[in-house]
Amino acid sequence: MSFHIAFLLLSVSLIVPSPSAQDEVADSVAVSDSALVVAAPPTSVIASEHEYDDGEALDLSWVPSIDDQLVGGLVIAYRVYRSTNGGELEMIEELIPGANQFTSGELSSDSSYSYVVAAVTTSGEFASNATAPLSPETEWLNYEKKWLFLIGLLIAGAVMYFIETARKGKKLFVRKIAGLEAIDDAVGRATEMGRSILFIPGIQDMDDVQTLAGLTILGRIAGTIAEYDTKLFMPVSRSLVMTAARETIKASFQTAGRPDKYSDDMVSYVTDEQFGYVAHVDGIMVREKPATVFLLGAFFAESLILAETGNSIGAIQIAGTARPAQLPFFIAACDFTLIGEELFAASAYLSNEPRALGSLKGQDVGKALAMIVIVIGVLAATIASAWQVESMQSIVDTLNSVFSTN
Amino acid sequence: MNARMKEILVVAVLTVFCAIMYWGKVDGWMTGFQFSFGLSMTVVILIAVSLLVILYLTLRGKLIGRRVVFLYVGISVTLPFFMSLSQEIKISPEVQTLYEGIAELPPGSVVLTAFDYDPPSAPELQPMAESFFRYCFNNDLKVVVIGLWPQGPQQANIAIEKILLDEAIAAKNLQYGIDYVNLGFQTGNEFVIQRMGSDFKSMFPTDYTGTPYNDLPLVRNIKNFSNIDYGFNLSAGYPGTVEWVQVAVDRYGLKMGAGNTAVQAPQCYPYIRSGQLVGILGGMNGAAEFELMTGTVGKGTKFMLSQSFAHMIVIAFIIIGNVAYFRGGRKQKL
Amino acid sequence: MEHFAIWVAAFLTMGIISFLYKDNAWYKLSEAIFVGISAGYWFVTLFWDNIYGKFWVGRGDDAMLYIGAFLGLLMLMRLVPKVGWISRWPLAFIVGATAGFYLINYFSSNVMRQVEDTIMPLLGTDYSATTYDMIGNIVIAVGTFSGLVYFFFSKEHKGVFGGTAKVGIFFLMITFGASFGYTVMSRMSLLIGRLDFLFGDWLGMIK
Repeated sequence: MSFHIAFLLLSVSLIVPSPSAQDEVADSVAVSDSALVVAAPPTSVIASEHEYDDGEALDLSWVPSIDDQLVGGLVIAYRVYRSTNGGELEMIEELIPGANQFTSGELSSDSSYSYVVAAVTTSGEFASNATAPLSPETEWLNYEKKWLFLIGLLIAGAVMYFIETARKGKKLFVRKIAGLEAIDDAVGRATEMGRSILFIPGIQDMDDVQTLAGLTILGRIAGTIAEYDTKLFMPVSRSLVMTAARETIKASFQTAGRPDKYSDDMVSYVTDEQFGYVAHVDGIMVREKPATVFLLGAFFAESLILAETGNSIGAIQIAGTARPAQLPFFIAACDFTLIGEELFAASAYLSNEPRALGSLKGQDVGKALAMIVIVIGVLAATIASAWQVESMQSIVDTLNSVFSTN
Repeated sequence: MNARMKEILVVAVLTVFCAIMYWGKVDGWMTGFQFSFGLSMTVVILIAVSLLVILYLTLRGKLIGRRVVFLYVGISVTLPFFMSLSQEIKISPEVQTLYEGIAELPPGSVVLTAFDYDPPSAPELQPMAESFFRYCFNNDLKVVVIGLWPQGPQQANIAIEKILLDEAIAAKNLQYGIDYVNLGFQTGNEFVIQRMGSDFKSMFPTDYTGTPYNDLPLVRNIKNFSNIDYGFNLSAGYPGTVEWVQVAVDRYGLKMGAGNTAVQAPQCYPYIRSGQLVGILGGMNGAAEFELMTGTVGKGTKFMLSQSFAHMIVIAFIIIGNVAYFRGGRKQKL
Repeated sequence: MEHFAIWVAAFLTMGIISFLYKDNAWYKLSEAIFVGISAGYWFVTLFWDNIYGKFWVGRGDDAMLYIGAFLGLLMLMRLVPKVGWISRWPLAFIVGATAGFYLINYFSSNVMRQVEDTIMPLLGTDYSATTYDMIGNIVIAVGTFSGLVYFFFSKEHKGVFGGTAKVGIFFLMITFGASFGYTVMSRMSLLIGRLDFLFGDWLGMIK
């Protein structure tokens, strides 16, 4: 009921401006009647559900006042009023002339809201009719992200398909990755020289796929080490990595039939602190002078320091990381570098594990899709912009809307 | 004299020198050196000539040791501290857009500043933090600090304490809890950002001193990112700007700018082109440009000369190194 | 105390820098102190700021925090060899949750958004496009495409495909070069920061 009274009051302000402005107007009216600036209120004010949100917002749209003109317009602003559960109207936003929509946020789906939009002139406010009360709703699915979902599903489906194919024993082709043979050679070299092998799995935790890829390759290396009886040590900067690495090496030694040669001392935890870890590993390198250094995992600023020190002691270095910023240093200072995804490819190739191989092939589907879209998109966009071909422009727009995630 | 004796002698001389200098500082008679312009130029020319000599020696097949390179880099970084030369700083577009992004914020806007770095990266990022806070406080923006790195919030406190000593800002008598808040560190990397997007308070039930969230007027009404007007991330790695873009920007639509170490910066540039980031301050260079834009002279500007000198030396040694490489002496000494 | 602190800081800074000359006892001492203190600092921060501050003091009635704490306790079961296997459960939770989270994040921000952004006319968007814009667009389109070809593992790098992959690695190397330059800048900044501490804050030689 109180809402209707408030609404009536505002409707009256069509003729009599709102209280605060009224006083000013009263003064100016006293001077001259023609100073009263009357504008038509906004019309067709509609409140509607804000799509795909958590039930926190409503959309408001209206047709601006006919007196809202670019040149010589009377409207200086729009004010949006909101009434909650039929309560009093309160101003929630002031918008610039020409505005015709507004999203009202911070709402609750337990309440209903009604809105009034008023055109403001120098003399006062001229309000619209109130909208029907409406409660925001929570949507469970966001259909704006349907393409993200579908393309994701396509690639995930491809991954699963290829994993299944690999499981059935069908051989999946993965191109040869340069530098892989070097791994066995490097282990052999350390054995011949009677020196040790240093393995650094990056400085990230087990939740980083690069660490996992590094450990997969470690499994393979540990197998060779067990056969050759070479000394391995592996300082790590995460406690979880320490545990996982120990288990990996242990398993490899067991497979190689040398469980007696395994010792927990091969893997030691140093510190989580990045440069503290680096200082320690640098020290080890200089003191122990390993013949071979593996740097496989996620690296940050320490990459250059480690690779440089390894280079200075004359070790054969094999590196691999997917951190683009760190690759330059590995390429400059190491003998072989697995660039970006090659790290994952190498881990899949070496382990010959259906899941790793299948993922790699599945991702190739994604890459093929991206390549096709880029070629078609770029060609269409170029033709559209050079010769103003509308059909080409519509292709570009479609592709953009598909790949746009917002 | 054997090598060990020489080393001990060098350390002893250095120690005595440092002790005298320190005593001078404490006693007040050592107020710092400053080379005249003429002397500065002479030093620059001498260094250039010596580099040419090294290049000549390398061409003749005589390679220098790595310690010489270290020495040159050390000298090239140190000498500019004392030189009376200045360097012109040009504003790059990504710094310009970052500045414009915060310049359009009305007073009272809430700015979320995420400190994702620790002391080792402070030389690059601390100047950015300081000039950013100075700008915010001068323009009455409300600052909320959080950190995804344990030492981040501590770096923020160091910067805030320093900025609050500025006369103009001290005069404003800013209140903790009303004008700025440090919510401390939270473990969980990007999951923290994700949760902040749905329920800010759940990740920071207390600030770094243990004051409950609801007792802090500035943040009491912050429910999620929709109550934040601008996000600024200072990052030195993971978790950092990439995670903020992926979660806060792409999922929750937060408007964001970032300050990165130079190592990180190239990885984040694609986000500017696609509009996911408003702008980036990249390394000390970015810090210096931002200082210029906000009209302050901080460490970023002060260190630019050292930075440029060091770069010249590095370029010189890249040339020398390549000469040595093509003469076939790669693994010998350099 | 203030004098002592700054001398200790300077002593340790110089200790680490002395590694440039050669590995020595001073460096080893500094290194050991750094490793020990940083590990300790992490422990203290995680305990007081997180476990005590954010969980114990601020836990309120948020049931989720208790679930997290419970998983954390399970993780500690590793300390008891007999029930050590329990710690695999929270580990599985971390790995699984992170993988799902990453999938969406990377896919949406680093794949979809970037593909969308690569779809652009090679000759510029309109007549006002400068030569610089055109070259920029061509570099981005060709670089992205050939880079993708290089990382395509299902086809041997031969013929036209191999040639495109070569272009891709060429682009990669240029990127790495630029990145290298940036890192040199970063490293120099760190050195400048330390030397400023030594000559300025410690010895007071800088005006």
